[in-house]
Amino acid sequence: MILSGWESVFFWIFSIAAILAGLLTVMARNAVHSALFLISSLVSVAALFILLGAEFIAGVQILVYVGGVMVLFLFVIMLVNVGAEEEGRAPIFNRPAQVTTALVFLALLAGILVIYAIPRGYQALQKRDDAGMQQASARRAGEESSLSAGATGVSRLSTQTQSVGTALYTTGALPFEIASVLLLVAIIGSVMLARTLKQEAAADDVDPEVLNEMK
Amino acid sequence: MMNCWSPSLALIFQEASRASNAIESIKHPDLSKFLVIAAILFIIGVAGVLTRRNLLVIFMSIELILNAANLNFIAFSRYLQDTGRGDPMSGQIFTVFIIVVAAAEAAIGLGIVIALYRNRETIWVDQIDLMKW
Repeated sequence: MILSGWESVFFWIFSIAAILAGLLTVMARNAVHSALFLISSLVSVAALFILLGAEFIAGVQILVYVGGVMVLFLFVIMLVNVGAEEEGRAPIFNRPAQVTTALVFLALLAGILVIYAIPRGYQALQKRDDAGMQQASARRAGEESSLSAGATGVSRLSTQTQSVGTALYTTGALPFEIASVLLLVAIIGSVMLARTLKQEAAADDVDPEVLNEMK
Repeated sequence: MMNCWSPSLALIFQEASRASNAIESIKHPDLSKFLVIAAILFIIGVAGVLTRRNLLVIFMSIELILNAANLNFIAFSRYLQDTGRGDPMSGQIFTVFIIVVAAAEAAIGLGIVIALYRNRETIWVDQIDLMKW
């Protein structure tokens, strides 16, 4: 997989945007700013997904993360009061000793990953897959030219989404059903956790008077 | 005369070829570049989890970590597609499930945050130390 031309320009734009937005997410004083920076980081990563040819996942990422999860986050941020942190009266990070320790070990991890582990591992992988890569890229070019052209005639319609759907309902059918149960449990659980004592009493048909007496 | 110049010339050529290799790899990013970006995003996320006091920002950093994992899965899925080894679709399916689990985790986590705020009036993790020994 080697990008070229405009693809590589967009790769650098979106990856630098994703990293900068991620950094600002962690460092922003205001939680609402954090959430907005996280949204831009997620959108940049979705653009990287499109560069990698996973259009369906990019769409799901934007719909579910940006449209669903981040709206929920913003809703909760508005609900809880973090005024002291925003106005600069309270520190946003832990104590300096804890922060320094965390950063030192993370810098070590980053250095080992970026300088040693990833380049060496990728070299070995490349050595193994070199022949297969040549064959497969020729086959891929043939397959791509047989796809039907889009409305503008410039690009071709990919069948990526179709194959994701097929794989999801054949090899991934059981995890798919389990995921649906997980989502149901999450919905019920979050409703249970977030309701007040009064709502709880109403749901259980307890007279509010009894609650007052208990206090 | 030529002899004393040739080592430095060779050094210059070596440096030039190394620089052109670097430019070539910037012009044509491959799998390893995606892995580096994902690793950096992951580390930023872990730094957020370990250093921030605000529980909501810690949750957002967890989303960042999960997203870095997603980027890795998609990059390897594309690599498998290009090399013809293994099933290229499983990476994308994994990503769909990670997104589902992240959504469930966010819903439950934010429910816990609301319940916590109602009882303790704080979302700073260094003040939530009732069970700390």
